Amino acid sequence: MLAIALSELIQIFRNRLVLVSSLIMPAAVSAFFIKQHESFAEMASLGYIAAVVVFTVGAFGLYTTVVTTLASRRQNLFLKRLRSTAESDANILSGLTLPVTLLTLVQAVVILTVLGSVAGGPDNIALLVVAVLAIVAMLLALGLATAGLTNSPEHAQVTTLPVSLGTIAVASWVGISGTEEMGTLKRLLPGGSATELVVEAWNGGQAVRDSLVLLAPTFAWVVVAVVLALRLFRWEPRR
Amino acid sequence: MDTTPVIDVERLNLKYGDFHAVKDLSFQVRRGEFYALLGTNGAGKTSTLETVEGHRTATSGTVRVFGQAPGDRRTVRPRMGVMLQESGFSPDLTVRESVRLIGTLTRRRDSDARVLDLVDLTHKAGTRVSQLSGGEKRRLDFATAVYGTPELIFLDEPTTGLDIQSRDALWDAVDKLREEGSTIVLTTHYLEEAQQRADRIGLMHKGTFHREGTVSELTRTLPAVIQFALAAAVPALPLPITREHEGKLVIETFTLQKDLNLLLHWAQNYGVELLDLQAGPTRLDDVFRSIGTD
Repeated sequence: MLAIALSELIQIFRNRLVLVSSLIMPAAVSAFFIKQHESFAEMASLGYIAAVVVFTVGAFGLYTTVVTTLASRRQNLFLKRLRSTAESDANILSGLTLPVTLLTLVQAVVILTVLGSVAGGPDNIALLVVAVLAIVAMLLALGLATAGLTNSPEHAQVTTLPVSLGTIAVASWVGISGTEEMGTLKRLLPGGSATELVVEAWNGGQAVRDSLVLLAPTFAWVVVAVVLALRLFRWEPRR
Repeated sequence: MDTTPVIDVERLNLKYGDFHAVKDLSFQVRRGEFYALLGTNGAGKTSTLETVEGHRTATSGTVRVFGQAPGDRRTVRPRMGVMLQESGFSPDLTVRESVRLIGTLTRRRDSDARVLDLVDLTHKAGTRVSQLSGGEKRRLDFATAVYGTPELIFLDEPTTGLDIQSRDALWDAVDKLREEGSTIVLTTHYLEEAQQRADRIGLMHKGTFHREGTVSELTRTLPAVIQFALAAAVPALPLPITREHEGKLVIETFTLQKDLNLLLHWAQNYGVELLDLQAGPTRLDDVFRSIGTD
């Protein structure tokens, strides 16, 4: 698995398109939010900024890259080649997604650290870590599922839009308007409860036990995405 | 030769929806053997091969490789090298990185330098796969298949896109692998390659074996041909004419040497000139062409 992960890391840094979409674009968007943090904090809260940058990094840096990478590796039969070796399917997928997952986590940590140092840190770091990990798990699983519906890297530009834009939109909706109204709907949407969790972890003011309940809908989305991935994922192109 | 089967396929069936791609196919490949799986387009040989390689699951029947299910990668794959029909390399990795990656994942031990030298890609070791020609990609594919000298090697259309020097070098390498005891399973459209090298051939048509056996056994099933033209009327021929083809008389025979000798003596005795005389043994091409006609 580590050999595959190392080769993926090499490829990420050699492919400018992937590098720009997975590293530079999310960083640029996050930099904008951090620079304008006073305006966004006034409109919503610092917790909202934290949530929206995590979802931006997750949606573009992780989710879109995972879908594009898997579609590309399938299209050029690299997945089939890997399956000709002694490596298990689980190890192959882990190896292919590990580098981008770690890069996403590092990006999220760096960006949130910068946000904290510029605008003031989170109330509950442990809860924030749990929330970020839950978001990463959800987007990774959704990426595996979407890859099953994506025939090529070009096709990924279309198939990734609903989830990537949708989760950022949900994060903005929940982060700005809160969950006093239509709370159940907002929490059931992908990213809704995770956004609320990040907002509460950053802003504070809620009991940890109440906040942890919000993990349930997020992990439900992970389960749904994994089930979809198991049904939809293909190792070879359609003939 | 050890007769323990390396590959044992028993009543293999593969269906894609309503399409029955492989029907009740059974065959064995013995240790050290060079087995060629040939067939018409859509005959089911790729489906069969991919099932034996562990890429597909049989609809019914059993497939054993080294006595194990081919999907048991941890056990089977370290002993087996696969040269795919199409490239399957990541374009952003170099040649050396690709060999090293796949070699490592097969759990076999070898030297990158040795393998690259074997396929004459040492000078391209630092080149990205995206910059290789089609022939160089095939050689890279071969390099990963033979990394660590596996006991069983699948070669799927290995020489497609290779120039004559590269083909010769590849077959020399295969000959060396055989000397070291490797079992080879080949699919190819170049019948002369199978005819020259295969110990046995499975000839597939419409999902099952049309014929299976050594080259000699396969070609023996069809008559050899003697053909000639005559300039003028002649005395009665010593052999029955099977048919006429493009103005020539055709005699089909299972005893070529005896009948050719008889014909030549007859021509000599009567002073008959046999115009455009041609005679030759049955070739694999003839057996292949006979598919669907008998």
